[in-house]
Amino acid sequence: MVLREGLFIGTCVFLAVLIELTLLSRLGIPGATPDIVVVSIVAISFAAGPLFGAIAGFAAGILLDLSPSSDTLVGVNAIIYLIIGFTAGFWLDPRDRKLPVMIGIAALSTAAAAFGTAVVDTVLGGERVNWTEVPWITLSAALYGALLSVLIIPLIARLARPLLTEISVS
Amino acid sequence: MLSRRARITLSILVVASLTFVILDLRGGDGPFSSARAAVSSILGGIQRGAATIVSPFTGAGEWWSTQVEQSGQIRELTAENERLNSALVSVENNIERADQLDALLRVAGVGRYRVIPAEVIAVGPAQDFAWTVAIDAGSLDGLEEDMTVINGDGLIGRVLKVFDSTATVVLIVDPESSVGGRVAGSQELGIVSGTGRQNSLEFQLLDPLGQVSSGDAIVTFGSKGGRPYAPGLPIGEVVDVTGTAGELARIATVRPFVDISALSLVGVVVKPPRKDPRDSVLPNAPSATVTPDPAPSSSSSQEKETAATPAPSDG
Repeated sequence: MVLREGLFIGTCVFLAVLIELTLLSRLGIPGATPDIVVVSIVAISFAAGPLFGAIAGFAAGILLDLSPSSDTLVGVNAIIYLIIGFTAGFWLDPRDRKLPVMIGIAALSTAAAAFGTAVVDTVLGGERVNWTEVPWITLSAALYGALLSVLIIPLIARLARPLLTEISVS
Repeated sequence: MLSRRARITLSILVVASLTFVILDLRGGDGPFSSARAAVSSILGGIQRGAATIVSPFTGAGEWWSTQVEQSGQIRELTAENERLNSALVSVENNIERADQLDALLRVAGVGRYRVIPAEVIAVGPAQDFAWTVAIDAGSLDGLEEDMTVINGDGLIGRVLKVFDSTATVVLIVDPESSVGGRVAGSQELGIVSGTGRQNSLEFQLLDPLGQVSSGDAIVTFGSKGGRPYAPGLPIGEVVDVTGTAGELARIATVRPFVDISALSLVGVVVKPPRKDPRDSVLPNAPSATVTPDPAPSSSSSQEKETAATPAPSDG
């Protein structure tokens, strides 16, 4: 049932992008924007396997890049989130995962996303990244990521459970 | 470890995103303009709805800091507040919007700018390092690229990309933004550039011997045809000056008049004034009646001598 999985991933990704752009980035919280998109991708990767994590990351990245509120190159977020979505699910054997470990991976992933964006933007010749701000952005992204993952990982795991029997974890 | 199908899917995705980056790096309209337009029309509509729902919560960061200080007091009042808030939130929100619209109309009226009001519906995440927002007006409302965006407090930024019913606005604090600025009163010219921090801008004087000091207000210098920046709009107030007169790199730190973290109602200047309004749009500057400071007399004399000078080429 590829259709059902696709629909599930699509809905999760779309909602995450919508919440991030319209609510979380407007809260005026110091540091990075709480990255619900990356946390959701990591959660999908945990629940449905690294391949679906990678697909979710790709979709979310493209959607963020094309959204009218951002001015990034199309594909930059896609490649970063794709790698993160794959790595998060591939890293540990599903049997070794405890919630604290998963929260740690989610925090690392959000930090990696923030840092990766800074690196890729600089490598591609962008002049926006202020490197004195990067450590603070990365650190705050990790903190917010950890907080969000406490909610998001169990939520997505629960929502994906009916699908899990049919997903062959590659 | 991985199945053949998984490996193929992964390589397709990686190659696709790298191809997208390379295609988009070439700049111009590119192959993504239609995709962007499609996504923006879908997202824009939903974001407009979502923005209405979340508008009472935006700027919650500030709310949080006071919350920590006065948590005891707040706890006592919470019960009462909750009951009253549900009724008040919508009313307060409307009053706040009316106030913002009033302020916007004042700036537009005093400066004779013709503006189109719009609502900020989405903000790019901070980890993109780009300070861009989406507004709910687009080419159908008469917006074009490089139009000035203001609110009741002053300059916000300029229109970067225009879609049917949404547009991307790059804010003045974006590190890639630079605006031609003028010190109100002394007429010294310089360039205001974004620093990537929401409460500070850098103002670099063109004349290293020019005078600028803390408390000076900076207004836009104006570009040819009022694009991307219309003249005479308040940008911010100088809070700090580094370097001494004559030094090559004299940089003043400027605090923007607008509150970048709590943008809501904005106006897009579709038609700049025929004459530079000078300093008349600055906050607490007299609007032709009472004159507590000497700014108006100097500005009126300067108006004559600068009226003949040609419009500056670029901001």
